[in-house]
Amino acid sequence: MSGNSNNSIRTENLSRIYKIRSGKKKDPKQLVALQDVNLEICRGELFGLLGPNGAGKTTLIKVLTTLLAPSTGHAWVAGHDVIKESEKVRTRINMVSGGESSGYGLLTVRENLWMFAQFYGIPSKIANQRIKNLLEIVGLSDRMNSKSSDLSTGLRQKMNIVRGFLTDPEVLFLDEPTLGLDVGASLEVRNFVREWVNADRQRTLLLTTHYMVEADELCDRVAIINRGRVLACDTPANLKHQLQHESIFHLQVSPFNGKTSSEKVRGIPGVIKVTHLPQDGYESVELILADESVLGTVINTFTAADVQIRNLEKSAPSLEDVFVKLVGQSMAEVESGEE
Amino acid sequence: MSAQIGITDIVSQHVDKVSGWKLFVQTVIARAYPRVIGQQREKSWMFFDVVLPLLGVCSYVFVYRAIGAPEDYIGFVVVGGAMIAFWMNVLWSMSSQLYWEKEQGNLALFILAPGPMMAILLGMALGGLVATTLRALAIMVLGTWFFNVQYSVASFPHLFAVFFLTMVALYGMGMMLASLFLLLSREAWHLSNLATEPVFLVSGFYFPIKSLNFWVAAAASLLPLTLGMDAMRQLVFASGPSLGFISVPLEIIILVGLSVVFLVGARALLSHMEKLAIREGRLTENRR
Amino acid sequence: MQPSTTNPISPFWRSFRVSTWLGWQIESNWTDPLLFAIYSLVRPITGILILVIMYGVITKGNYASPTFAYIYLGSTFYMYVGSIMAGLSWAVIDDREHYKTLKYMYIAPIHIPSYLAGRGVARFLVTTISVVATILVGQFILNLNIDFSAIDWPLFILSMLIGILMLAMMGMILAGISLLIVQHVWFLGDGVASALYLFSGAIFPLEVLPAWLRPLGYFMPVTYWLELVRRALVGSVAQAFPTLSGLSNLQILGILCALTVVFAVIAWLVFRRCEHLAREQGKIDMVTNY
Repeated sequence: MSGNSNNSIRTENLSRIYKIRSGKKKDPKQLVALQDVNLEICRGELFGLLGPNGAGKTTLIKVLTTLLAPSTGHAWVAGHDVIKESEKVRTRINMVSGGESSGYGLLTVRENLWMFAQFYGIPSKIANQRIKNLLEIVGLSDRMNSKSSDLSTGLRQKMNIVRGFLTDPEVLFLDEPTLGLDVGASLEVRNFVREWVNADRQRTLLLTTHYMVEADELCDRVAIINRGRVLACDTPANLKHQLQHESIFHLQVSPFNGKTSSEKVRGIPGVIKVTHLPQDGYESVELILADESVLGTVINTFTAADVQIRNLEKSAPSLEDVFVKLVGQSMAEVESGEE
Repeated sequence: MSAQIGITDIVSQHVDKVSGWKLFVQTVIARAYPRVIGQQREKSWMFFDVVLPLLGVCSYVFVYRAIGAPEDYIGFVVVGGAMIAFWMNVLWSMSSQLYWEKEQGNLALFILAPGPMMAILLGMALGGLVATTLRALAIMVLGTWFFNVQYSVASFPHLFAVFFLTMVALYGMGMMLASLFLLLSREAWHLSNLATEPVFLVSGFYFPIKSLNFWVAAAASLLPLTLGMDAMRQLVFASGPSLGFISVPLEIIILVGLSVVFLVGARALLSHMEKLAIREGRLTENRR
Repeated sequence: MQPSTTNPISPFWRSFRVSTWLGWQIESNWTDPLLFAIYSLVRPITGILILVIMYGVITKGNYASPTFAYIYLGSTFYMYVGSIMAGLSWAVIDDREHYKTLKYMYIAPIHIPSYLAGRGVARFLVTTISVVATILVGQFILNLNIDFSAIDWPLFILSMLIGILMLAMMGMILAGISLLIVQHVWFLGDGVASALYLFSGAIFPLEVLPAWLRPLGYFMPVTYWLELVRRALVGSVAQAFPTLSGLSNLQILGILCALTVVFAVIAWLVFRRCEHLAREQGKIDMVTNY
C-alpha cells in the first residue's frame, strides 16, 4: 500500500459509475455514484461519512468492503488493495448496515451469530463466549435463545451490531447503523461504538450517516459527501470553525411565496446562503450572513413582503450549516429534491 | 448498554482465528447447520416433502397399473419418486439459493467473510443432502411398503458407489448452477421452474431412458441423475439389466467424470461469477 | 379522500381489478419474452410427454386407443388445477415473504379473497395458452383424434366456467393455510394438486384405486369437472370408461355445481379461520428464511 503506513483506509481518485438498465433503449443512462474520491483514514480513527440519501456513502462502503469494483481509481483497506487482495482485506474487516434483515429467521440469535463467527475462523468455544459477553453488553442476553424472526427491528439491529463486533475486525464499517432505531436505541449504539474505538486505538471505524448529530458527536473526522463527491474533510470542530466569522440565524416566519421572497433575500449583499423549509403553519428559514448587520435588511425585506417574523435565533454553526454552505441546500432540501 | 463485562474486556481479548483448511471445514459446517436444524424445527416437511410427493408417486403407479405394466415398472416409479427429492433440492435449494440470499442481504455478508464461498456452497449442499436423504428414504420405504415392491439387489457395493457418485456429481452441478444463477435475478426462479418437467422427462425418473432416442438419452446423461437412476435400476430390479441404457461399470466411470467436471467447474465458475458480480455491482442489488 | 362506499360491489371489483393488473405485471415481468414463451409451452408439454412415453413403452405405441385420449385430455386440463390453486396460495407467500406487501394489503380497504383471485388470473391466462398448445400438439402430432366439429361447445364452456370457480374456491382454502405456514413450503399449491391427481380420475379411472380410496375421488369436484370436459371434447370415447358412465351430463353437472357450493362454504370458513389465527399469531407480516 502506497502512502502513509499508518493509514487504515485510503482511496485514490476513486470513481464508480452505474449503467442504468432502461428497457429497450440503446444508450443506457449512467449514474455517477462516486467521483474522484480521495480519502486517507488513519488507524484508530472513528471516521464519519456524512451526506444525504443517494450521496454515494453506501457505494463507497461497498467498494471498500470488496463488494463492488470501482470504475476507476484505487482503494486500500488495512494495507491491502480491495480488488487485487480482496481475500486479505476480508480477514480484517466487517460491516453492519442499518435496516438489515440478514440472518436466518429460524435460527436463534446465538446460532445466527455463531454461524457468522465460524465464517471468520473463530473457534466455537471462543465464539460462544464472545457472543455471550457482547449480548450482555448490548442488553440482548435474555433473547439469546429466541429465534431472530421473533425480534423487533431495534433488537435485530443490536444483533447485527454484535455480529459486526464479534469477529474482532481491524476495520469496521457501519453503514447507517442507527437507521430505523428509536432515540434510546440510537444513543446506546453510539455509546457502544465510541467505547469500542476508545478501548483499542488500533481499530478503525468508518461510519456513514445522514444524521448530523451522530457525526458531530461521534466522529474524530468527518467527510461531507454529496452527489458522489467529497466536498470537505476535517474534524467537526474545524469544519464548523470555517463558519465562525459568519453569522447564522434561524427564523420562523409566516408562510410565504418561498421562491419570490427567498430570491429577494438571496439578492441582498452580505447574504451568503438562505434556505427555507415549509413546516406546519410556518416556514423555517436559515440564514448565513457575512455580518450580523445584514440581518436588519433581511427583516425589512420580509416585512415588505408581508411576511411576519415569529421567532428569531442566533446559533453557533453546526455541521448542517457547513453542509448548507458547501452544497447550497439543506440536507432535507437535497433529499426532498431527490424524491 | 452496560454490564459487568465491559467493552474493554472484550476488546482486549485476542481472538485466535483459524485459516486454511480449518476455516474451510468450519465454514462448511456452519452453513450446513441452518439447513439441518431447519428441518428439525419445522416438522411440516414430513407432510409436504414426504406425503405429498408420495401421493404423486402413487398416481404414476396407478397409471402403470391401468395400462397393465409389469410390476418392476412400479418399482421404477417408487425409486424415481424418491430421487426426485434430490433433484428438487438441487434445483430450488442450491441453484437459486444464492439469489434468495442476495434478496435477504446474506450474500453480501458471505462474500465479505474470509470463509471461502466454495465452502459456503458446499455447506449448503451437504445440509441439503442430509435433509433430502431423509425425505427420499421415507418415500422409498413407504412406497415399497404400499405397493409391495420387490427388489433384487445384484451388488450392494456397486449400489452404494453409484448412489454416492450420483450425489457428488449432482450437488457439484448444483454448486455450479448456484454460481451461474448469482448473476440472475428473477430469471433464476423461472429457469429453475423451467428445468423441472423437462428433466423429469429426459432423465427417465418414471421409465427407462432406453425408451428414448439414443441421442436424447446420451445428452440427458450429462444430468447425473439420469445415469445414476439407470444404474440403480439395473442393480436393484430383476428386469433392470435388460432395460438399462449402458452397462453399470461404464455409468460409474461417467459419473466419476461428471463429479470431477462439476466440482472443478463450480470452483472456476464461482470465482469468475463473483468477480463479474463485484464488477457489475450485482451482489447487493434487489431487482424483483 | 375515502374510497367509494356507495357501490357494494366496488371493493370487490376494485380489489379484483387492481390485483389482476398486478398479477399480470408480476407474471409477465420477464427480461426475455422468448424465455417466457418457452416456459409457457415447454413445461406443460414435457410434463405430458412423460405420460405419453410411459403409455407408449407399455402399450407399444397404441395411441389410437381411447385410453390414450382419456389420459392425455385429463392431464392437459388438470394443469388448471395446479395453476389456479397454486396461483392463489403462492400469491400469499410471495406477497408476504418476498415483496413484503401483504401487511399493507391487509390494512388497506380491499377485499382480500378478491385480491387473491385477481392475482390468480394471470396464471390462469398463461395456463390457457399452455392447454391450447398441448391439445394442438396432441391433435396434430400424437393422433389424439378430437373431432372439432363434434365438440359440445355449450357443455364445454359451462363446465369450464363452473370448473374455474370450483378451483378458485379450492385455491382459497390453500391460500388460507398459506397464511399460517413457513416460507419453505412455497409449493403447497403444486403439492396438493399433485396429490389430487391421485383421486380425480385425471389419468386413470377411479376403479384402479383400492376400493377404500375410491370414495375420495367421488367427493372431489375435479373428478366430475374432468369427466364433463372429456365428454364435451371427445364424447363417446370418454363414456367408454366405467367410472361415471351411469350418469348423464346433466347429472354430472348438477353434482359439480353442488360440490362447488360445498367447497365455497368450506373455503369461506377455512379462510376466515386462518386469517383470524394469522392475526392472532402475528403471521400476516412474518418473514422466514433458512
